[in-house]
Order: sequence, then C-alpha cells, then structure tokens
Amino acid sequence: MSDSGTSSVAAVEYAGSRQGRAGEPLVKVEDLRTWFPIRRGVFSQTVGHVKAVDGVSFTVQESKTLGLVGESGCGKTTVGRSILRLIPATSGKVHYRGDDLFAMPSGELRRMRRHMQIIFQDPVSSLNPRMTVGNIIGEPIVVHGIAKGKAKDELVASLLERVGLDPSYAVRYPHEFSGGQRQRIGIARALALSPDFIVCDEPVSALDVSIQSQILNLLDDLQKERKIAYLFIAHNLAVVEHCSDEVAVMYLGRIVEKATAEDLYANPKHPYTVSLLSAVPEPNPRPARKRIVLKGEVPSPSNPPTGCAFHPRCALTRLKAGVASAAETMEVRSGSECFRVLSKCVQEVPPLTEKAGAAGHVAACWVAK
Amino acid sequence: MSRGDGNSGFPVRPAVGYAPGGAMSDDLPLRRTYLQHVVHDTLVPVASRLGLAWVVCLAFFAVTAPFIANSHPILMQEAGRWSSPMLKSLEPADIVLPVAAIAAAVLLVRRKLSAGQGLGMVAWVSAVTYAATAWPSAPQYYATLRGARLELMSAWAAWTLLRFVGAMVVMMIVLLPIFVLPRRATMVAGACLAPLVVLTLVFPVRPPELVVYERYRQKEGSGQITFVLRAMVPYSANDRLRDQPELRLTPPRRGHPLGTEPNGADVLSRMIHASRIALSIGFIATGIAVVVGVIVGGLMGYFVGTVDLLGMRLIEIFQAIPRLVLLVAITASYGRSLYLMMAVIGMLSWTGDARFIRAEFLKLRKEDFVQAAVAAGLPLRSILFRHMLPNGIAPVLVSASFGVASAILLESTLSFLGLGLVDEPSWGQMLNQAREGSGFNWWIALFPGAAIFLTVFAYNLVGESLRDALDPKLLKRE
Amino acid sequence: MAQPLLEIRDLTVGFDTDRGWIVPVRNVSFCIYPGQTAALVGESGCGKSVTALSILRLIAEPPGRILSGQVLMEGRDLLALPETQMRSVRGKDIAMIFQEPMTSLNPVFTIGDQIMEAILLHQHVTAREARDIAERSLYDVGIADPGRRLNEYPHQMSGGMRQRVMIAMALSCKPKLLIADEPTTALDVTIQAQILELLRKLQRQANMAMLLITHDLGVVAENADVVGVMYASRIVEYATVEDLFDRPAHPYTEGLFRSVPKLGNLAERLATIPGTVPNPAHFPSGCKFHPRCHRMEGDAKCGQIEPSLREVAGSHWAACHHVPNHASSPETSPRLDHRREVVAMATEDLGADVLPSAKEYRP
Repeated sequence: MSDSGTSSVAAVEYAGSRQGRAGEPLVKVEDLRTWFPIRRGVFSQTVGHVKAVDGVSFTVQESKTLGLVGESGCGKTTVGRSILRLIPATSGKVHYRGDDLFAMPSGELRRMRRHMQIIFQDPVSSLNPRMTVGNIIGEPIVVHGIAKGKAKDELVASLLERVGLDPSYAVRYPHEFSGGQRQRIGIARALALSPDFIVCDEPVSALDVSIQSQILNLLDDLQKERKIAYLFIAHNLAVVEHCSDEVAVMYLGRIVEKATAEDLYANPKHPYTVSLLSAVPEPNPRPARKRIVLKGEVPSPSNPPTGCAFHPRCALTRLKAGVASAAETMEVRSGSECFRVLSKCVQEVPPLTEKAGAAGHVAACWVAK
Repeated sequence: MSRGDGNSGFPVRPAVGYAPGGAMSDDLPLRRTYLQHVVHDTLVPVASRLGLAWVVCLAFFAVTAPFIANSHPILMQEAGRWSSPMLKSLEPADIVLPVAAIAAAVLLVRRKLSAGQGLGMVAWVSAVTYAATAWPSAPQYYATLRGARLELMSAWAAWTLLRFVGAMVVMMIVLLPIFVLPRRATMVAGACLAPLVVLTLVFPVRPPELVVYERYRQKEGSGQITFVLRAMVPYSANDRLRDQPELRLTPPRRGHPLGTEPNGADVLSRMIHASRIALSIGFIATGIAVVVGVIVGGLMGYFVGTVDLLGMRLIEIFQAIPRLVLLVAITASYGRSLYLMMAVIGMLSWTGDARFIRAEFLKLRKEDFVQAAVAAGLPLRSILFRHMLPNGIAPVLVSASFGVASAILLESTLSFLGLGLVDEPSWGQMLNQAREGSGFNWWIALFPGAAIFLTVFAYNLVGESLRDALDPKLLKRE
Repeated sequence: MAQPLLEIRDLTVGFDTDRGWIVPVRNVSFCIYPGQTAALVGESGCGKSVTALSILRLIAEPPGRILSGQVLMEGRDLLALPETQMRSVRGKDIAMIFQEPMTSLNPVFTIGDQIMEAILLHQHVTAREARDIAERSLYDVGIADPGRRLNEYPHQMSGGMRQRVMIAMALSCKPKLLIADEPTTALDVTIQAQILELLRKLQRQANMAMLLITHDLGVVAENADVVGVMYASRIVEYATVEDLFDRPAHPYTEGLFRSVPKLGNLAERLATIPGTVPNPAHFPSGCKFHPRCHRMEGDAKCGQIEPSLREVAGSHWAACHHVPNHASSPETSPRLDHRREVVAMATEDLGADVLPSAKEYRP
C-alpha cells in the first residue's frame, strides 16, 4: 500500500468518525421486538404475528465483537437488520452513541448510516450485477460527500487493495469474480464510509472452507486497524468462538444465554447451548464425548411455546420434573409425546439472570445455576 | 486399487473469454457489460439478425424517404437558372430524421458515450434541429389557433403564451445538455450542428403549401426545363398523376415497379413513405407505454401498501378499456391525427409493463444489494433508478419489442377500416384500397401486406431472441 | 478380502461448453466395500458432486460426457448398461439423496405419492402394501404420526423433515449403496446431528454402504471409515479416517485442517491457504495445487509434472512430490480436552439416556 494511499484513507477515516465518551457502549439495544403480521382472509386481516425477535437487549462496545449465534428461525438475521432499520422494528430502542436510531427523522438517519454498515451472507446477491465494482464501492462515498472525482477513485483503489484485490478490478463487474472475492468487495463497500460498527450477517457461511479463514483473518485485521465493532451473526459455533469477545445465543427470538466467548464455551449453562455445542461435528475421528441429540424440530416463531420457549425439547426440565413434587410439574405434549416438565418452565418466561461462574454470564433458565 | 495417472491425453483447449463462477482469469478478452452481453446474445441467432436487418432497412427508408422517392427533382435547370425543388420542399421532419440518424450512427461507431448518454445526445441534436427548422412554420400554428374555438382566452393571448413557452422550451433544450451531457461531446455536436442552424436561418425551411407535382413533367415535356436530375423513384407519395390519368390503378409495369393506386399514386413511393408512420407509431406508442408503465409499476412495487392497492385499481381500469373501440371513438370525435393515435395507443398499453415492473420491484426490494444501498444511505432516486430498474427492466424490454409490432398492427387495422390517416400514407390504408374498383387489386394488397407481415415478423423475431437472451439462466452463468 | 461393492476405475467426465471442454473429474478411482462409509471431501468446484452423479449416470448427456473409466457394481460396469437396465439400478441397488430438501421433492405431489412411486416401480406389491411399506419407512426415519404425514405436501414440512422423507424414499427399496450428496449442509446443526445419527443407525441395520459427499471435516470425522480428498478434479489423498486426521500427507489436506476454526481452540489468527480454488477451465500445469502450496520449496518439478497417487504409508495414498516423513501431531489442545470434559459432565448431569430409543411400532 502506498504512503499517500494510507494517509488519505487515514485522514478520511478519522474525519468521519465521532468520538464518544469512554465506557459508554457504542450500540445499545433495548428490548427490541420485530413482529411480522400474518395476514389471512379477503381483507388481509392480521390473524397473528411471527415474533421473529421478541425482546432482545444487548450492548456492543467500541472495537469489540459481539457474536450472535443460533439456528435458522431464531431471529438473528432479523436482529441485525432491525438494528440498522432495514426491517422496521415493532418496538424497542437502539442507541448509537446515545442517539435513539428509531426516533430519528429520515434525513438524519441517512446521514447516520455512514457510521453503521452491514456485510451480507450471500456474495452473489449482495452486489448489484449491473454496476461496476468501482461504482458499487464509490457511490456511497460520493453521496455522503466524502470524496469526488479523482479523490474518490483513489479511495476506492486503496480500499480494494486493503481487502486484498487488485485496484484495477474497479472497472469489472461482479459476475467476473469468485465468491470469496465478491465477499471482499462487500467488505470494501462496508468500509468505504469508515463506519464504527459493522453488522456481519453470516459473512463466511456461503464460502468455501479455505476461503473462510482468509476472510476471517481480514475482518480481524480490519477491526484492529480501524477500531470497528462487529455484531457477528453466524450459526457456525467454532467460527463465532474464534471471532467474538462476547457471545449471545438466541432461540426463537430471545437471547437465552450471554457470556464472554471463553466462558460460554467452557461453562455453558443453558441446556440449549449445551446441546448446540455437543451437536457440532468435530474434526476428530475419535471423539470422547457423548452426543446430545435434541428431539423434535425447532418450533415455528408464529406459534412459540408458552413460558420458556425451549421447554418442549429441554432434557433438563424433564430431569428436574422427575425428582420434583407433583405440584410443581405439569404434563405437556410435544408432537406425539407426552411428558412432565416443571410448571414454571411452561408458565413463565425466564429472564436473563446471572449464573455462577464469571461475571456477566447470564442465562435465561429457571433451573440452571 | 488402481492409481490415477498424469494426463489422460485428452485434448483440453484452454477456454477463452468469460470464466464461469470460478477464480478470476486475468486474460479475459471478452469482458462485457450486461448490456453488451444481452445485445450479443440477442443477435446470435440468424433469425433475429434477419429481423434486425429488415428493421434497419425500414429505418433507412424512413430516414431517406423524401430523398429517394420524390416528384420534386433534386436538381433542375429552368431557363438558365439552377434550382433544387426537392430541397425547397423539405419539411422539418425530413431534416431532423437524417440528422438524428447520422448522430446515432456516429455515436454507435465511436462508442465514447454510454447508452443513456448516447440517447440523450441524439435527443438533444434532434430537438435543436427541430427548433431550427420549425420556427418558420410558427405562423401556421397561429392561423390554426385563430381558426380554433378557444373558450379560455383570445387567440392573440394564446399565441403570445405559446410563443413565450416555446422560447423557454427552446432555450432549455439548447442549454440544458451543457450541464447534463459530457461537455466535450456536446461541444463537438454543437460545432457540427452550427452550420446547419445557420443555414436554416439563412434559408428558412418553408415547404410550399400548394404543390403541383405534374408541372415538372409538363415543363420537361414542353422543353422549358433543360436539365433535370430526379430521385430514384420519381413520384411523391401524394402525386396523383393528374397529367397521366391512364396510369391510375395499373398493375406493376415499367416506370411503376409496384403499380399504382386507384387515385393515381405510385405504390412504391407510398410504401417507402409509409415506413415512417410504421416505425414511428410503433416506437412512440411503445415509448409512452414503457415510460408510464415503469413509473407507475415502480412506485407500486417499491411503496407497497396503499400505493399498491390504488395502483392496481388504476391498472384494472385501464385494462378494461378496449383499444380498438376507443381508437374508433376518438377518431370519430377528434378527427384523424397521427399524434393523437400514438398517444392513445401508448396510454392504453402501459398496464402490462406496469405489472412486470411491479413484480420485479417486489422481488428486488428484498435483494441484498438493494438493502445494501439503503444501508449506505443512498437517496431514493438512486435506489429506484440506478439499483433496481436496470435489474428489473428485462421483461419490459421483451414486452416492448412485441408491443411495437402490436402497435403497427393496430394502426393498420384502423386504417384498413377506413378510420386511419388520410393524408399521410400508411400500409393499412393501402390495404383498404385493394378492394376498390371492379376486381381485386392484387398489387395493392400484396406489397403493403407483405411489408406489414415482414415488419411484425421481424419485431417478433427480435423480441423472442431478446427474451431468450434475458432468460434468468443467463444470470446463473454469471 | 471381501469383494468391493462399488469400484470406480479411472473415471473421467467432461463437459462441452461453448467456451471449450471443461473436465471436472479426471482419473478418479476408489472402492467402497459393503457396509462401509466412504467420504469424498472437497470444496466447491473440485468435482465431487459430478463424480457422484456419474455413478448413477445422471449427467445430462449433451453438454456432459463420460470420457473414460468404469464404474463396477458387483462386477457389472454401470457405464456400459443400457438405459432400461440402468433404471432398475437407480433406486433399487443404488439410491441417492441430495443437498436441498426444499427443491428435491415435487411440490405438487403428496409425500405418500412420491414414496409409493419409488416402491411400486421397483417392487411387485399392491398399492395397499406399498402404502404400508411407505408408512413403515417414515416411522423408521423417525417421523411421528406417519399415517397422517403421508397425505401432506412438501411445503407443509420443515427442512429436517423433508430430508428425512428423502431418506425414507431412498431407503424404501433397501438399496445396497446410498449416495448422500451434502445431505446436511442446508440444515441446522442440531437437525444435522439428528439426520446423521439416523443415517448411521439405518446403515447399521441394513448393512448398507454409504458414499458421503461433503465439505465439512467434522461430519467426515464422525461418520466416515474411508476418506478421499478431492482437489481440482482429482483425488489427492485417500486414507482411513484416523490416518487422514492424524497424519495428513497432502499439503491441501494439511492446510484445510489448520484453517478450519475448531471449538476450544482459541488461536489468534487462523492459518490460511493462500490463493483460490482454480477454475476448471484454467487448471494450472503440473500439480494443480502448486500455486498455493507451502511445501514446494522452489521445486520446479511441482509445476511441470503432475504427481500421481502413490502409497505413502499402509493404506494411505497421496498425490504429492514432497510427502513428509514424520507424522504431524494430532490436534489436541488443553482447551479442547477441557471442553470435552465439560460437555461430558453436562450430559451426565442431564441423565444418561438422552438418545432417542427405538420403540416398537404398533399400528
């Protein structure tokens, strides 16, 4: 990278970023709910809601990575897009450096968008096939008034170089690149406005294994260089553990456990987290552990179970029901099975409470300690 | 277990060109934009090339009609004085079309501007030329205004207003591109146009109002004209051969290769002049339909909800109107006017395009790159026109090419029914005349009928080829 | 030594595109024995799916062509069979399940119709009996209330269910070999565990061989007996699963192991394989991996001569000019062991019997 390139990039970077007070979280999400109405009937009446995100709260610190992990249907992608107001949220607040994003008028929101960007999962559909790579990266730069003309071209070239692509590729079209290269272009586009916060929505899931490590290393380097905070959404637990400082596990629209990465993987408290960790296939032909295979399918978010959403599949509550008195248990049906679980798990939604172990390790479970 | 060997000896040609889905090939000689890709794929089948060739032929005839089929001689010496009656009889449209065609040809060859800029440049050149050539006919419009019954204001007030508005429009047209189009291209085009504009100021374009076509033949016969250089087809579209009444309604013969009509006009000449109507009806009507359809459909597709509901009702209303019946009714009430007909056809055909665009936009709203554009804080107009429209225009392009054919057929139908244009020649109208007289005039049915058939067929061929080229499987290759 | 159930010898498949010939599978050879699970591992574009499709001759003939090689099933060359006989092989002797359960089932027919179609085609039973067999096979794959499910349409079921239905369809005629082309890639990790568990159980019950095609090393480690690693149209390493993971001989395999993030292994940076997978239209000369190889040490031979698959240890083949003599140590880190302990303790806490137990089917 040439010197002039570095300095111009650096100059642009710090001109755009806003300085916040130390200790204050960069992004604070409070009780975010995103419900999608289900419409039926001739007049499209709302008969119910798909509760994709149902009360999610977390904070992201500057220059740190919060990993959001869960299976399909748990709402993690919706969380990412709701924070950026790409999907309208039903209720809740999102604060960026203290400013409530949901209460902003559209003009101010557009200007605010340069501080928060997003990297998408699918490298094929995330780039406009009819625009050159240079235009894809350069258009936001021009629109936000960061640079014009030749300065813009130089900035685009330096961004391409930074993500590991030849700057002469700026005149080519997305279809001429491989999946990994397209993802790099997506990263360059996200970096173009020098944001402080990037939502990484499954950035490596669609890539080949040998390319994944390249992209993960690139994201890591960029975080250290430019002090960017990431919300890293993924379903691959090993990748999330590698990339994140803090990890939150989601199930059916709610966060069921949150802890530092080390702590979560060493000391999982919530039964769902335990089964998730045990279900990950390990590249070891002689595993010494026992596999926990969850019964049943993930329930649909339009009709979630009452109380703790995990109770139909939870082995822990069944275990405890076996040793508890009859007054504290009740019978539930799941599919064609009938079994007894603790009544509390069926009737009340467990809040995120701190569990024994490292500080800040919270889990939403009535039973786990 | 058997082992694998090195090379199986199978000849593998290194593939040139675009690399499907894999790593970057740095030696790509055929790197194309999507538009070039589509154009190339559309023109690969022989059928669509033939279709396009026919359309180009038609366009050539349309542009050069007054120069190749005209009763006015190109050059004439009468009593020692040289004159060019053909040039004197040119109308504004006769000058604008060749200038625009030359500009388009130059841009196609030079390829310095993008497609949109090229279109804008051609439009600007046409507008300037039209302004330069049409200003002398302004008094005619005043006379028309005087003749018309105006309830809102006096003819003089309307005339002043029209002049003022006209001047404003001309200024905008002339000066606007300086800010929009590339400066250098505009200056070059302006420099080329300047002599033409000066010429039209010195020799204003004033086609004679009353034309007596036979006087050239009579004067030549009587020896008054010493030298004459005629056009290839020495008959105008409206030359009724009043000095040669025996040549009316004759089958093809020497001097009239395609025969003559009952009123005496030469069939070949009329067919050449009618190609203008054929092409312009198709393009202008479809152009109106596409523009209106894209705007309505785009708004519906992007702002779903109430806008979508109302828009669908609007589409349904317009779809319920029968085209032919409405055209007949309008022709009966407001007289026969080419522009009116084009506008009506256009305003009745936009619904299909609106539906296509709405469907495409509904799909595109959810695409990641549109969300990325929103996340980058891009303004709405950029999202709609730069990100969504180029990706969703494909079905509209296909529908447009079929729509042009359909507009031509509609106009021919009207003319055949006797409700179309009277003064200007049109193929449908000629078909109508095939029934006149005692028998069936086969040459008046065959040649214009063949022309309609070939034109519609050509558009359909190109349209089908375009549809195959725009097939979503093409996107999978990318 | 038992006879191999399926033997592929020197298979080469090419595609005639308008940009020239592309050969995604070149000189591929391996064997599968009855009851064994063989895995083909590789990334996208390496040719593993095309290999699987060629076994059943599902490659579309005009652009594709099997250029050379034999596929011997119990001695019979499947590539030389006429189409009518091939149809009796497909579904009956060899069955296949695909990656996308969403699109592999016909959306306009019920599940019952689709399973019964396969049964009626290959077995001489009445429709009533076929329905019973279908119901039984749905029960065997762990779908509750199978009688009701037979009347449902694919869109009414979740991804995991659909994959189970696909497995039921594939196994309804008790094939000898099941080809599973990325069967769990599109599924969540907990459903993936269920499906793989199911496949293992069914395989044990019927002594069925399986050819598992995947890019997930974890899935390979837990399910396969023998592994073939494919890179750029060729098999570059072939070994038992323990040998492969303990002592990877080919630099590509080595690089893959090191670049995959593993649970419990908190490295600061992941090791990477530089460069990208080569384009099938533009394969490098010599060894196809040499532009990305860290073992080359400037040896020009790697760029000129393509290494052939040779035995580097007992039952362990690799295609490389520079195979190391010493073994690379297996991946154990203290954190990994600790994690295993934790999960083991947690599962003990939850009770021993959390695996689904097989119940007797009572109609």
